Parts: sequence; C-alpha cells; structure tokens
Amino acid sequence: MKNQVNPWLTGNLTVLIIGMLPAIVLICALLYFTAWAFAFSFTDLALVGRKSVEWSWVGLENFERLFTRRGFLESLWTTVIFVFFSAIVGQSVLGFLLAATLRGTQSTLRTVVEVCIMLGWLLPDIVAAFLWSATTSQTGLINQLIVVPLGFPPINFINSYALPVVTIANIWKGTAWSYLLFSAALDSVSREVVEAAKVDGATPFQRIWLVQLPIIRPHIATNMLFITIWTFTYFPLIFAMTGGGPGRQTETLAVFLYNQSFSRGNLGFGSAISVAMLLIVGFLSLFYLRLLREPK
Amino acid sequence: MDNTGTSRLTAIALTFMAVIWVSPFSWLILNAFNPLSTGQLEIPKAFGFDNFGLAVSGNAGRQFFNSIIIAAGTATLSVVVGISAAYPLSRLRIPGRNAFLWTLVLLRMLPSAGVLVPLYFAAQRSGLLNQLGVIIALTILNLPFTLLLLKNFFDTVPIELEEAAYVEGASLLQIVTKIVLPMSRAGIAVVWFFSFTGAWNEFLLPLIFARVQDAFPMSVGLYAAFGQQGAINYGFLTAFSILYAAPAIAVYFLLRRNMNTGFAGVGVKG
Repeated sequence: MKNQVNPWLTGNLTVLIIGMLPAIVLICALLYFTAWAFAFSFTDLALVGRKSVEWSWVGLENFERLFTRRGFLESLWTTVIFVFFSAIVGQSVLGFLLAATLRGTQSTLRTVVEVCIMLGWLLPDIVAAFLWSATTSQTGLINQLIVVPLGFPPINFINSYALPVVTIANIWKGTAWSYLLFSAALDSVSREVVEAAKVDGATPFQRIWLVQLPIIRPHIATNMLFITIWTFTYFPLIFAMTGGGPGRQTETLAVFLYNQSFSRGNLGFGSAISVAMLLIVGFLSLFYLRLLREPK
Repeated sequence: MDNTGTSRLTAIALTFMAVIWVSPFSWLILNAFNPLSTGQLEIPKAFGFDNFGLAVSGNAGRQFFNSIIIAAGTATLSVVVGISAAYPLSRLRIPGRNAFLWTLVLLRMLPSAGVLVPLYFAAQRSGLLNQLGVIIALTILNLPFTLLLLKNFFDTVPIELEEAAYVEGASLLQIVTKIVLPMSRAGIAVVWFFSFTGAWNEFLLPLIFARVQDAFPMSVGLYAAFGQQGAINYGFLTAFSILYAAPAIAVYFLLRRNMNTGFAGVGVKG
C-alpha cells in the first residue's frame, strides 16, 4: 500500500526501471552461465582433444561416477573435517571468545589484538599460503623456535601433518570475520540485561551462556551460514599450499573439482562435482536458515 | 572478587595470542628487507630496500597497475550497478523479490570453478579475454551478494525522511543522492570494500582470462614467479608479497570506522 503514497517513486517508474536494467542483464548472464554449468554435467565435454568439440550427452553417467569411482567420497570426507575444525570449531568459537573477552578490556590492547587478527584476514590467499608454508617448513619458525630447542629433530609439518596445517592456517586467516560479526552482535545486547543478570548473582560464565548467547542466536546462525559456505568452496589457500597433496590428504572438494576439470580436463565430470557441491551447500543453508527463523 | 588479577591475566593471554598471530610475518619481513635473502628464517646480515626496487620495476610494476584496475573497476562497477537496482528493489513492492534475491545468493554457492568454463567460452566469443572481461565477470559473480546487502541497507533508511524531502520539492535524484546514499554510507563502504578485496585477491579467473604476461595481475604474477623453474628469488618474492598485501590492508584501515557499523547491518539482516 505504501506505493500509493510515494509519489516520487510512482512518478519516476521509468527512471527506476532503467536503473535496474544493467543489473537485470548481468543477472540474466549469471543464470545463463549457471544453466550451462548444469548442462555440462550431463556431457562428456573435455578441456582439450576431440571431446572438447565433439562432446555428447551421457545422461547421469558423471553422477554415477561420483559414487562408483574413488575420489569424490574421500574428498567429501576431507572437506567435512576441514570445514568442521577450521570454520565451525576454530573460527566461530575463537572469534566469539575473542569478541566476549575484548569487550571488557582497555582500548589500546583491544585495538592491538584486533589489528593483529585483521592482518591475517586481509592478507591475500596466495601470500598467506607462502607464509604458512615457510612457517611450517623444516627450517621454519615452529621448528626453529619450539621443536629444535626442545631437542627433537626438525619436522616437515606440511608433509607429515598436511591437513592439520591447512586447518590451522585457515583458522588464522578466517577468525577475524567471526570476531567482527560477534563483536557487532554483542554490541546489540543491551547493557541493562547483562547488568540485571549480574545483580541477580549470575557468574560471568552464566551471563554469557544463559543471557548473551540466546540473544545473539540469529547472529550465530548467520555466521555459521556464511563461514560454512565459504570454507566448503574455499580453494586458493589449500591449492597454493599443498595442491591437494601429499597424496590426496588435503584434496578438498574444491581442489578435487579443479584437478578434475583443469588438470585432467574432464569438464563434464568437473561440472557434476560442482552441481553435487551446490546441492550439499544448499541443504546446509536450509538447515541454518531454519535455525535462524525459529522463534526465540 | 579479584578483578584486577583476572583482568591482568586476560591481558597477558591476549598479548600472547596477538604475538602468535603476527609471528608468521617474521619470515616475510626478514626476507624482504634482506638483499641477500635465501628464503630461510634468519636474522639478516645486511639490510636494504633492493628487493622492493625489483618488485616495483618492469613486469612487477605493471602487474600492480593491472591489479588496481581490476579491483577498483570491479568494486566501482558492482556498487554502481548494485545501487541503481537495489534502491528500486528496496522501495517498490515487487512480488517475490526476497525469495528471488535469496535464490540468486544460493545459486552463487556454486563453486566459481564450476561457472568458469561457460564464462570463458562467452568471453572468448565476444573478445573479452582481457581486463574488462575480468571486471565484468567478477561483477556478475558479485552481484547477488551486492544486491542483497545494499537492499538491506536501503531498507533501514526511514521512508519518512524521503517523504519530507519530497514535500519540500526534492526530485528523485536529489532524494537518492542527498538522503539515501549518505545514510547508507557505511553499507556502501562495506560492499565496495568486499568487492575490492575479493577482486584484488582473485586468482583463478585472471589466471584463465589473462593470456599474456602483460595482463597478469599481482596474484597470478606471484604464483607464476613462485612456480618458475630454477633458483627462486625469495627476496623479490617476499617484497612483492608485501606490496601485494598492502593496498587491501590500507583500504580496510581507511574505511575502518564505516566498516564496523556496516558489519552490524550484515549481522542483523543476515
């Protein structure tokens, strides 16, 4: 009904529609490309060679291969571990603890810690990958500062503990986002509520667990939604650090997709992988959105 | 309660964490300022800016400008296209607009390697395998998030202000530029910043779109320099990394105050 009382909008409908046109064109392009990505998943299209020109429809063959050939299910498992430990456990919990702790501290320390965490987040993926490769190498910081002084032989972490290393690198890189979001969320919790709980004799732990957490639940769901999706499809850091190796230890679905599509040239199979990833992420998002909508 | 004791303990723990967090940078800085760098973590015997000299000259300097063009171009195009569509989306009652926007966002969860192939074919056919092509492609990929965020920010601008301005005789253009845009400045800054850093860091798309070394942005240049056979010049690599990382960090600190308010909006609206 508001439309009728907004004459500056109704009087300029043409202008508004012209304004929307560029976005409409680009959105149509996006839909068109996405539709092609779906279509490719039913073909045997290849990057090079005869099948890059004379491809044919192969029905559901690519999707059958997801489950019958080795690779996809293992990668899925690696991805689940990577997402769970680096995003949900690492970034979320650490980000929340930092946000809750830093609220009470003096401003200089708060700024210093904030800037340090932000540096990891702002660093381009490729540079972060170099940094962590160097830090965990045989002559790197961890070996020089901790392992060797304690009398152990130096460990080549990136070879021996590849998945934990990329997980830690991703926690290091991504915690800032969760921290910022939770920080903004905690600002929205009114001081009176917390003070009232304090007066009623709630311990600091109870104040966080029983008062603040329930209030910011929508923010937690939003945060989970974003970081799960991002981490699930996150590619450059792992690719630049390990390329999926050693063996297949760090081949998450995003790396598996790249290797299949562009190293091996199986574009059809690659498209099937990305469609499968989209379905998985879609289900996860619906789950989180339900969490978000539920009344308190 | 021993309040000062616990707060001192927290302060120590936080300081310790901050030190751990920045410690990986030691390798980067020690090597970048060491003209005789070997890629090892060691205290340099010499100190100088030679590596930075290498990192701004020749190809490396051009790659810096390529990155600036791609990142600033993508961010500006995304924001302009986004604003002109998000304002009508926010104000006009178009049926199903929210469902439509969320569907788009869901579609964008398709890993970008998936849409890369059709994008590449389209760019090849229309002769856009260049920086303009990268800018347009990145804007297309950004648009769902940009639209959703900007629409949410415009929704928070009270419509009464616009009514008042209309009564005073302001035109649509004046209402938008004098009221709506200034009031959602924080949100626009956030969107611009996200698009800028996203495009600045983007690696896969320019890797496939840029066919000649002259067109490489820094991300691809850095990766290529590392992959080159033979002796790796770690001094150059680390200095180049620092120069590559600097603009995104600088832009963040320039927009910092706006960012924090903007984040509150992201959180509330989701």
